[in-house]
Amino acid sequence: MRRDWWHAYVVGACLTGIVAVAAFVSYRNHAFTSREEARARHAAKDVAEGRTPVDDVVMAAMVSPAKRSQTYSFLRERQIDGRRLGGSAAGEHDKLFYDAANRADKNGAFVEFVQGTDYVLAAEPRDGGVAIALTIPPKGPEPFPYLVVLGLLVMGALVAAAGTLVGGPARSLGLALGASGLAVPTYLWSGFGLAMVVFALAVFVAWADRRGSIRRIGKELRTGGIAYAFLTPTAAAMFVLVAIPFAVGLALGFYNNHDNNWTFVGIDNFVQILSGGGRSLSDPLNFWFTLGVTVAWTAVNVVLHVSIGVGLALVLRQRWLKGRHGFRMLLILPWAIPNYITALIWKGMFQGEYGAVNAVLSALGIDKVSWFSEWSTAFTANVVTNTWLGFPFMMVVALGALESIPSDMYEAAEIDGASPWQRFRHITMPHLLPAMLPAIALGAIWTFNMFNVIYLVSDGRPGGGTDILVTEAYRWAFERGERYGLAAAYATIIFLILVLWTIVGSRLAKKDSQ
Amino acid sequence: MIRRLSILCVALLLLAVGCGRLDRGNSVLLWHAYSGAELEALEAAVADIQREQGIEIRLVAVPYEAFADKLTAAIPNGNGPDIFIFAHDRIGHWKANHLIEPLEYYVDSAIADRFAFEAISALSYDDSLYGLPLAVKSVALFYRTDLVKEPPTETDQLFAMKERYAGDFSGYPLVYENTNLYPHASWLHGFGGSLFTAEGRQSVATPEAVAALEFARKLDRDGIVPGGVDGRMVATLFNEGKAAMAISGPWFQHDINDGVPWSVTTLPAVSATGLPAKPFLGVEGVLMSSRATDKDKAFRAIELLTRDAAAIRRAKSARQVVPNRAAYEDVELASDAALMAFRAQLDSSVPMSAAPAMRSVWTPYQTALLKVIDQDQDVADALRSAESEIQSYSQGSQP
Repeated sequence: MRRDWWHAYVVGACLTGIVAVAAFVSYRNHAFTSREEARARHAAKDVAEGRTPVDDVVMAAMVSPAKRSQTYSFLRERQIDGRRLGGSAAGEHDKLFYDAANRADKNGAFVEFVQGTDYVLAAEPRDGGVAIALTIPPKGPEPFPYLVVLGLLVMGALVAAAGTLVGGPARSLGLALGASGLAVPTYLWSGFGLAMVVFALAVFVAWADRRGSIRRIGKELRTGGIAYAFLTPTAAAMFVLVAIPFAVGLALGFYNNHDNNWTFVGIDNFVQILSGGGRSLSDPLNFWFTLGVTVAWTAVNVVLHVSIGVGLALVLRQRWLKGRHGFRMLLILPWAIPNYITALIWKGMFQGEYGAVNAVLSALGIDKVSWFSEWSTAFTANVVTNTWLGFPFMMVVALGALESIPSDMYEAAEIDGASPWQRFRHITMPHLLPAMLPAIALGAIWTFNMFNVIYLVSDGRPGGGTDILVTEAYRWAFERGERYGLAAAYATIIFLILVLWTIVGSRLAKKDSQ
Repeated sequence: MIRRLSILCVALLLLAVGCGRLDRGNSVLLWHAYSGAELEALEAAVADIQREQGIEIRLVAVPYEAFADKLTAAIPNGNGPDIFIFAHDRIGHWKANHLIEPLEYYVDSAIADRFAFEAISALSYDDSLYGLPLAVKSVALFYRTDLVKEPPTETDQLFAMKERYAGDFSGYPLVYENTNLYPHASWLHGFGGSLFTAEGRQSVATPEAVAALEFARKLDRDGIVPGGVDGRMVATLFNEGKAAMAISGPWFQHDINDGVPWSVTTLPAVSATGLPAKPFLGVEGVLMSSRATDKDKAFRAIELLTRDAAAIRRAKSARQVVPNRAAYEDVELASDAALMAFRAQLDSSVPMSAAPAMRSVWTPYQTALLKVIDQDQDVADALRSAESEIQSYSQGSQP
């Protein structure tokens, strides 16, 4: 007889037990809350109608209507039986009563458990003031019936064991029935929905047991336990720092935020973005315009980064060049400086009246350019800044790849009479390309999402025209009425575009290497 | 091995829980973004309160840029401050998120009367009061006394200054960030305009706004004001004598180099309307967290920090423009021309709206300023497109 039936049973009972316990706790809390709230409400009504409220009342009174200050419309005074609330002779619960009266005047009657205390407070606006009662529950919620749950677990174990003894399909049936025993209290305390969840869990466990999955997982954990123990912290960190924000970000895209009210709007945000939101194609707020700018931005930058980077690498490799290492150090420097500092320096240099770029231009007899008033010049300013930031990376990658080309290939080519161009075309290029392709793919992604340069140099000027998708998403979230939902939808679209790009890019690279 | 590991884990867990529950003691936790002289003044005030009243206030400095985000994250989790010092313009947002505590239970007219009316009103929102004011900030007119003998009292005189300085002065009569809404709002209010209707809706494309923006463009076109300058450039031009006057706030005093003779006065009146140019008023207040541990004590701390004596000390040592009425009866402060100028400007200023709606006005409005001043587009068109922009932000997803 196979003895591992209890493995499956324990797993199933734990899962279903957790659900059942949660159901019971929420049920008894709900019952307790509604009972105590009804009592507080009743006490408030008693006060309002001039009766002495029932026992367990801490304090109950009619609070006078607010008396506004003549000068300051936002200041108002309230009294209980002619005594001013607050001030030096304030009673213990004055502030609770004062705040409750204000809230009831604004939003109508309410009842609630006072945070951080055991009290329940009910307030009801009436003619001539607000009736407020503060009560304290005489006893807590129902105790937790451990015996019931324990008994159900034992009974479930017996049912499961009986099923195993019979064997065959009865084994799975017993397991499912035993674990779903906990669905009964769940149904009683919480309702049909959660009971079905418990039942489904029980059936799932029985099914997994039949397929042998549970045994395999158990074995895996026994043999590789230490490895899993070491992996757990990282996995947990990844889950908290990557998976959860990612999921929340995805979900936010389907909501709309207006003054902190979140409403589910389905795919409206995506429709609004992809349809251009009713704006013309030449409007910078149209998604397709921004996408066009982003693609142009990425393409221009990558072409410049790669051509300048590779060009410099080819020069730096020449033996005749004195002080190559010094030059290499200097050329890597732009990469080593934090990019926002570089961006701010360039922004200052492009300043219209006193910037360095215009100073040089006017020294050469060229008119000063107001860099950020025209789209083309603002875009150019961004590109110049980002090229300055981006070429060193490509140069370093190209230098590495060039080092690995054996020099005897060049010697052999030279002996065969190959021209410098032929040597470049047939030796350097084929060796360089495999190293450059991943760098280009990576560089494209970086540039596509290069928030700092756009935000700090042109800041979208003129009129949002030079914004790329990430800065656009940022603006929707933080500068245009906190449209977090729309911004999240933007982020999702950016993510999908980059996923697509990565797939296409890796396909191309693979094809090339074949 | 596993046992040792699990013991370590449990120990770490206990440590984490222990740290989370670190007792705050009896002190009031105050978050601020002050540095330099303002911080020293605050520390001195806190030390006085501890000595004289026995209330301990613990200061925690939080960087200005991160302040609002940290508050939003910390207060709902109970890790936030009891009280904090910040500008008033986010009150609407914080109120909507239930982060701050209304104070009208504690504040009566006697306390409110200590402060200039505009200053304490700025800290009220939606019929409640959320803080007591520490300092006010608005722009005013700085001028170099070596270049300007008599500062202009109305805007027509500005245009006359160009000729007056034509000979020996190669520069601009005035410099300010003319594509920034913050200083531009002074002209807007001076032309009788406002960013909000009486019902609290944004209204941008008004005739007054058009007039104000045309005026700002004329300043630029006529060479009264240089274009495309940011905050640092304002200071540079003023220090180098390339601008005779500058519109900026109290912080500008620290940017002026030693040896530059300067003074400050209120903004001129707008000649077209006869109204004074009214800058935006920003009020730095002490606000209470809605999750403050001991609210009575927290308010005591707020009240002590904003008392007249403390305000006079702050004004003297940190050169803060304090809103306390009594402070300006102090002989030393009354003879401080710069402080008195900002105090006078306070009386003709408009508190910046604390409504969340204000925050969606900035970017579109500044785009309109850029379009008109930098790119010479039609004023009314630029403002209309800014208005429809702003409305589309606040309407939510449905068009």
